[in-house]
Amino acid sequence: MSSLLLRILYGFSPPLHRQLFKWPFVLAAGKKDLIDLPVLNEEDLEEQFVRGSGPGGQATNKTSNCVVLKHTPTGIVVKCHQTRSVTHNRKLARDILREKLEVEYKGEESELLRRQNESIQRKQVKRRKVNENIEKKRRFKETLNAEDFGFKSQEP
Amino acid sequence: MTSKTMWLLGRLMHRHRGGLKLSSFVRSASCTAEGAVAPPVDSSVTAEQAVRLWAQHFTLHGISEPLLSSQYIIAHVLGRKTLDGVDRRRLKDPLTDTERVSVWKLCTKRLTSMPVQYVIQEWDFRDLTLKMKPPVFIPRPETEELVGLVLEDLRLIRGESYGTDLRCLEVGCGSGAISLSLLHSIPQLRVLALDQSQAAVCLTRENANRLGLQDKLEVQHLDVMGDTDALLSKCGPVHFLVSNPPYLLTQEMQSLQTEILRFEDHAALDGGLDGLSVIRSILVLASKLLKERGRVYLEVAPCHPPVIRQMIEETMPGLLYLETRCDLTNRRKKVKQV
Repeated sequence: MSSLLLRILYGFSPPLHRQLFKWPFVLAAGKKDLIDLPVLNEEDLEEQFVRGSGPGGQATNKTSNCVVLKHTPTGIVVKCHQTRSVTHNRKLARDILREKLEVEYKGEESELLRRQNESIQRKQVKRRKVNENIEKKRRFKETLNAEDFGFKSQEP
Repeated sequence: MTSKTMWLLGRLMHRHRGGLKLSSFVRSASCTAEGAVAPPVDSSVTAEQAVRLWAQHFTLHGISEPLLSSQYIIAHVLGRKTLDGVDRRRLKDPLTDTERVSVWKLCTKRLTSMPVQYVIQEWDFRDLTLKMKPPVFIPRPETEELVGLVLEDLRLIRGESYGTDLRCLEVGCGSGAISLSLLHSIPQLRVLALDQSQAAVCLTRENANRLGLQDKLEVQHLDVMGDTDALLSKCGPVHFLVSNPPYLLTQEMQSLQTEILRFEDHAALDGGLDGLSVIRSILVLASKLLKERGRVYLEVAPCHPPVIRQMIEETMPGLLYLETRCDLTNRRKKVKQV
């Protein structure tokens, strides 16, 4: 997950057909790696903390600290157990959810999707170039060897 | 089989097979308390394979969270906190001899139901990584929320940068999780932390040193249920008191999971018949130690809030019950009093 920075300048309401969700959007400006992500309303979220079976608290010693976050207006669910701290998992779950909402909301116009596709294409171009270089070097070596033999066979 | 027998067998095999490289075949012969033996391994085992192998082995022996345990231990040996943090390609490489020996040693400890946090001797709490050492109580995720609540409340009362000159008392510091977390977030805070366990006092001091917070934290070996006057003479007035005290009912102790019963300090869990014996002492101390409009933040059992409210209203005129908050699982409660 690429790091995404957000600077809050002002909010504005989304196009009419999406007014149902009433998200304030946040404009990001300045650095080119900033993407505008939807702001989350805690009232729209249902959060669950998976601790396995047992009473919880002092009475339980489990390492599982998975956070399950559901965005009720869209039904999108995010699970996160990337770190050993539940506080961090809660933050990360919200970050992931915001990215998913950006794609959900923007659809084809999604900035995230566009950047992901660009990144994939860049990698493909790079791989093609690497392969071409390897091929060139291989051919060059072949010609060298051929010359070598040719030279040797000319020796008296 | 004892390791002596293994060595002997090994020498015989070596003589018999000439060029056979013994180092390529290692059988761990250590036994656990219940007689569970570690699985055999050869030197080509990859990290991925080791995770699966040990997850299966834990499952076979009824160890809880078999896959997670395996993942956390092996990630730790590979220098990461979680398996996600290990490079994909690294997982498919064979473990080095050192890594393999380490994984087998640590996972064998887990076979005794030793909590993962004690096996790898560390765990995370909010932004901090703390050293863990049996039998000092392992901080629970619910307590991370208590710290969040305290910080939020302090910002409300004292402003976004927590004001000036803030003093706090923590009762039952354990590994130092709560105190150190607060100190990490509030630079001007000074904390006095108490614990009735010398091991906890030592571990808290060690964690404070590792985090460079030792100048802001004083740790004392004191029992809050001991003589109040002696306590008061050692603790100055504070702006707030925080604690995750033992709050389990004695009768609940026997049904706890093996990890807890066998390895964690029971005194850190057992709150007496009603689970309130330590809480009661803390509140009595608070009523004498808190500055004007100071606050107490406690993590307690789900059944406690109404009882505590009544206790305060009837027997502690200096305190006022403010609020009960539920944790994420809606089970544990956090109570606030002033």
